[in-house]
Amino acid sequence: MTVTEPVPETIAASDVPLLEVVDLHVGFRTDAGTVNAVNGLNYKVDGGETLAILGESGSGKSVNAQAVMGIIDSPPGFIPKGEVLYRGTDLLKLPDDERRRIRGNEIAMVFQDALTALNPVFNVGWQIGEMFRQHKGMSKKKATAKAVELMDRVGIPGAADRVHAYPHELSGGMRQRIMIAMAIALDPDVLIADEPTTALDVTVQAQIMDLLAELQADTGMGLILITHDLGVVAEVADRVVVMYAGREVEKAPIDELFAAPRHPYTEGLMQSIPRPDQVTRRLDPIRGAPPDLLRIPPGCAFHPRCPYAKDRCRTETPALRTISTDPLRSTACHFAEELYS
Amino acid sequence: MSTEPILKVRDLVKHFPISRGIVFKRQIGTVKAVDGVDFDLAPGETLGLVGESGCGKSTTARTILRLEKATSGVAEYKGRNIFTMKGKDVRLLRREIQVIFQDPYASLNPRMTVGDIIGEGWKIHPDVVPKAKRRARIQELLELVGLNPDHSNRYPHQFSGGQRQRIGIARALALDPSVIVADEPVSALDVSVQAQVVNLLDDLQKELGLSYLFIAHDLSVVRHICDRVAVMYLGKIVEIGTASHVYDHTGHPYTRALLSAVPVPDPAMRHRGERILLEGDVPSPADPPSGCRFRTRCWKAEDQCAAEEPELVDRGAAHPVACHFPEVPAVF
Repeated sequence: MTVTEPVPETIAASDVPLLEVVDLHVGFRTDAGTVNAVNGLNYKVDGGETLAILGESGSGKSVNAQAVMGIIDSPPGFIPKGEVLYRGTDLLKLPDDERRRIRGNEIAMVFQDALTALNPVFNVGWQIGEMFRQHKGMSKKKATAKAVELMDRVGIPGAADRVHAYPHELSGGMRQRIMIAMAIALDPDVLIADEPTTALDVTVQAQIMDLLAELQADTGMGLILITHDLGVVAEVADRVVVMYAGREVEKAPIDELFAAPRHPYTEGLMQSIPRPDQVTRRLDPIRGAPPDLLRIPPGCAFHPRCPYAKDRCRTETPALRTISTDPLRSTACHFAEELYS
Repeated sequence: MSTEPILKVRDLVKHFPISRGIVFKRQIGTVKAVDGVDFDLAPGETLGLVGESGCGKSTTARTILRLEKATSGVAEYKGRNIFTMKGKDVRLLRREIQVIFQDPYASLNPRMTVGDIIGEGWKIHPDVVPKAKRRARIQELLELVGLNPDHSNRYPHQFSGGQRQRIGIARALALDPSVIVADEPVSALDVSVQAQVVNLLDDLQKELGLSYLFIAHDLSVVRHICDRVAVMYLGKIVEIGTASHVYDHTGHPYTRALLSAVPVPDPAMRHRGERILLEGDVPSPADPPSGCRFRTRCWKAEDQCAAEEPELVDRGAAHPVACHFPEVPAVF
């Protein structure tokens, strides 16, 4: 299985990756202090590849996506450190107008809640067409025609009629398809999908995930899937980054991760979920709750919840490192080799 | 099951009128949210009510609790009709059947301390716990749901989502109920916290002999926690049986499609072949399809399905299925 996996990071390193995030930090200044949402995140995505970023609420997975897109409200948000390299160019250093050209054209995003993300007072055709009017300077008529084409492509039946529908007239699944149509309108090379199916029923979720996979196969874009759902990750991802308290705690190809986690947090997550295809006797949850980002525990952020925590974990922050026995994977646990050999 | 059911629902119907006009209001249609639902809940049992959004699972529960007025049908609690109860009996019923809500942020009053929230029910039902013992009982309840008993003077905002859900559970337990209706009790929680609450519900049931009516859309959690499962589609139950039977020997095509859509957290299962993609959306409950309501999305539909509405028929194994052409039992 290992050999057939899409290009692992170590091999791809010789080429310039499509998108690379290096030591990204994002904070938010609040009255109570600085919320450290992302604290040194690193990952790469290549064309045609699906990278899943897995984490619970407050893990920084969505803030990371907003930083890559350049849509963090500032203030209160700020990026003290880090690089977002798109084909080798650091987006964080680009002027606003350059950034705007890349956003949508090169890197696009699908948001979780389509009803809030869409504007209720414009019809969906107008909103999809806006991409063409703004970025390509198309006429209204031409933009609407393109919108119909796109709605057709994302599987909306009767696109020619529905192009004049308002968001509230469409079902949740249809609205998410509209979001996807807007995201792929300008043929981006990277698509970031932030919990694209969390608000949807399972049958609709399956339709949307299939659509994303199909579009990816057609266009060869890199897909970053942000989710908390281990099931969705297992179904579609090539590689996984597991996040906790704003940092990655484990990175691995999909099969390896599920076969044998190499970080206590990943291990705990997997023991927390029941399976639809098997009877589970008793769930073995992680104790406690995710940390308050105003007061991230010192040392390893996971140590208060970790069943294996030792003194070293309370004082020394473990760096993400390659596992000596398994060069395709990395973990941020001091004791990974001892725990999982 | 030989024991008398604690809750018995027969032919439950809840229609909502659709009206138009302000001065001359007239009814232009009905949303058939619940359209003839039958089930029993045995003492100490967990019955899962599953289905997609809009299938009527929450309305069913709300109607049984008399939070909505039933259009017709019967719901009996320990042999007495809930819908004809009056005054004192209704109060007693509300004590016996408690609810846990989905959103732990919206369902707790932010201006009340946790102790006041848990003890609020005793204002209406003062005889459950004598006044002198209430403080101690609140601490006992907090401990029972895994919270620090000294935190009864704190406010909801000082707790995390999982802890708030525990407060909601403690509030439900304060009146010593025998039935708990849990409406999506874990869907708003993080994965790692969700498992904690699922285990807590499990433990409480064993300890207190509670019956649960467990409403959820997460089929993995339902399989884990439920003894029996009822699958709803457009206001009707299409299949009901023991969890293992419904999951492993699925009878209704809709259930099969639903189960095949659930992502399995195991990449080795990715190409498990049997994946049924339903097309389109659930039809409007204001204008459900004739005959079998699932026929518009069903790959097995024939003329008979449009003409004739299938009844819930038990083909052995106490696992009734409402389909003219039920699936040949196959292993998931």
